[in-house]
Amino acid sequence: MDRIKICHLYHDVLNLYGDTGNVVSMRKRLEWRGFDVEVSDLSFGDFDKSVKYDIIFIGGGQDFEQGILTEDLFKYKAGWLTEQIENDTVVLAICGGYQMLGNYYITDKGDNIKFLGAVDFYTKASSPRMIGNIVYSTELNGDSPVAAFENHSGKTYLGKGVEPLGKVIKGFGNNGEDGGEGARYKNVFATYGHGPLLPKNPVFCDSILLTALKKHGVNDLSELDDRIETAALKNALALYG
Amino acid sequence: MGIRSAFAVMAGKLTAKMLHIMGRGATSLPGVVMLKICPNVLGAMAKDIKVICVTGTNGKTTTCHAITDIIEANGYTALTNSAGANMLNGVVSCFMNAATLTGKVKRDYAVLECDEASLRHITKSFGKLDVTVVVTNVFRDQLDRYGEVLTTLDLIEQGLAHIPQVDLVLNADCSLTSSLAFSTKHKSVTFFGVNTSFDEQSSADISDAVYCIKCKTKYKYRTHTFGHLGDFYCENCGYSRVKPLIAVDEVKAFNAASADVLMSIEDKQYDAKITLPGAYNIYNGLAAAAIGKVIGLDDKKIIASMSKLTTPFGRMEHIPLGDKGVEMILVKNPAGFNEVISFLTAHCTADDDILFGLNDNSADGTDVSWIWDVEFEKLSTRIAQIGGDKQTFFFTGKRGEDLEVRLKYAGFDTERFTLDKDYRTLIQTLKGTGRHTYMVLSYTVMLAFRDKLGEVVELKKYAR
Repeated sequence: MDRIKICHLYHDVLNLYGDTGNVVSMRKRLEWRGFDVEVSDLSFGDFDKSVKYDIIFIGGGQDFEQGILTEDLFKYKAGWLTEQIENDTVVLAICGGYQMLGNYYITDKGDNIKFLGAVDFYTKASSPRMIGNIVYSTELNGDSPVAAFENHSGKTYLGKGVEPLGKVIKGFGNNGEDGGEGARYKNVFATYGHGPLLPKNPVFCDSILLTALKKHGVNDLSELDDRIETAALKNALALYG
Repeated sequence: MGIRSAFAVMAGKLTAKMLHIMGRGATSLPGVVMLKICPNVLGAMAKDIKVICVTGTNGKTTTCHAITDIIEANGYTALTNSAGANMLNGVVSCFMNAATLTGKVKRDYAVLECDEASLRHITKSFGKLDVTVVVTNVFRDQLDRYGEVLTTLDLIEQGLAHIPQVDLVLNADCSLTSSLAFSTKHKSVTFFGVNTSFDEQSSADISDAVYCIKCKTKYKYRTHTFGHLGDFYCENCGYSRVKPLIAVDEVKAFNAASADVLMSIEDKQYDAKITLPGAYNIYNGLAAAAIGKVIGLDDKKIIASMSKLTTPFGRMEHIPLGDKGVEMILVKNPAGFNEVISFLTAHCTADDDILFGLNDNSADGTDVSWIWDVEFEKLSTRIAQIGGDKQTFFFTGKRGEDLEVRLKYAGFDTERFTLDKDYRTLIQTLKGTGRHTYMVLSYTVMLAFRDKLGEVVELKKYAR
């Protein structure tokens, strides 16, 4: 069986809200099914661009660190990451990582910060912060809505060719206005959902894994005992759904 | 004391009395009433007292407790607030409780635990007084409330801006905390810190302050204890740790309830025993020792006091439930929880069960995702080694299921999981196991659980 390669981009900076749990969830659910998994942490500086990753994960971070990050992004990663996205590599991006994929960010002072521009959307600073449990529907999570936690001050507005990842049931989502949450483009899955997202939403996790595994000729995944995960999801939905 | 503030104290006492008659416990209401009558009532009550405020993310309660231990052991009197009363109203009420009917407070010191966001409201009244502020550390904590670590630091700076005459006591090993020495006005700064690494491979997760606060270059470390604490320096701009006046130079042994260390005060070295459990508590002991220095105790008295420190409410508190009893441990954030994990990894045996409890009320942090920043993998590896196949892992609290998921993905055997959200039946279960249990609980689980425990066992009273 092929080795599945996961890249955790900016693992040491974009790691604010336990988002590493998403990588743990993807790794474990692959390993439990007998796949060989390799997780590579990719931080600042130059790197080996010849490695083909199956999944690139980008988490959320603090504003203080975004500045250092965009500098490195444009110096070393921008061309590569855009190419990966265009070549249908699976990308899961949360919160700050999500915002980074868009065209630009307008700060509260009105400054325009250029972002990657790989996906057509922009984000605008707003106040107060949008904080709390979020519940949204998406076919990626099967019959159940997704339960997660959002914490962002930016409001995101999607361009015409970009679909939201889900529809907000409780919470704010992209901007608290249009009912959309997250973004879908090619094999990019972007969302404001922390929690972390995947451990408690195992069907969502498997949807992402399956998208990545298609390149390896895998079209379905064996069932796992998800009683504990499902109980946690049901509990969160009962409390906040 | 002016007529207005004296009247405010009387009104506060009357309110407290009425609440008592109505069968209500201590609330923040007396403080609210007093501040309405006299906004400067706190400054008036604290006029003749030396005030020591303790703030920072972790260790506030233990540090206050240790400082009070040292002060009282050396013949002084102190008043102190409880952990649940660390905002302005709580501080005002605690002074009121200690005051006479005419509003006089006859104590040498006030040792005040101050919530980071409330410090600025509390210090507002202390503009002209003799004040010392201890900052224990700045870690990520309840981010849903404070936003980011720099927000927390900024709140503390705002608190210090009211009191330029302050004597500061700072953790030298925390790059965020020690920056306060440069960003604020003060009369003096006393640094405390650890001049050695706690373990060889501990540098894996320096995540809360990776980049230099001044120039955003990645810090380097000569020694490292835990989290982002250690002998840091920035190669680019030269910002670096200040050599601490009060320090632990070497840890000879970490025991279950204490640590044997080589301690230095200025340039003299002493053998010392710090009677607090867990590596992280070394810092809390040192903060108290630094206060000893600031208030003018001689070195021998400080060293002697270190071996008589006691743990406060919920911090590895022993409760005599069942044959073997239980230890109650409070967890509030990843850094603190990781230290508890280190403790359990070192001391948990096959004969110990563990109860994990998590709520998501605002005092716990409404976002529970932080449990994924806790290194349960370390504990799970250890548990596999000790082969505790009789061990049970209990889960409770509103978000107990989230902890179950976390531990499952950390490699724990889910066959040994038991979830029970009813504290009463859970207590009966724990009582009946005949085994010892470590209880690792978030704040509001601990409060509620302790309440229910009080129905079946005699608990220590924690009011001072």
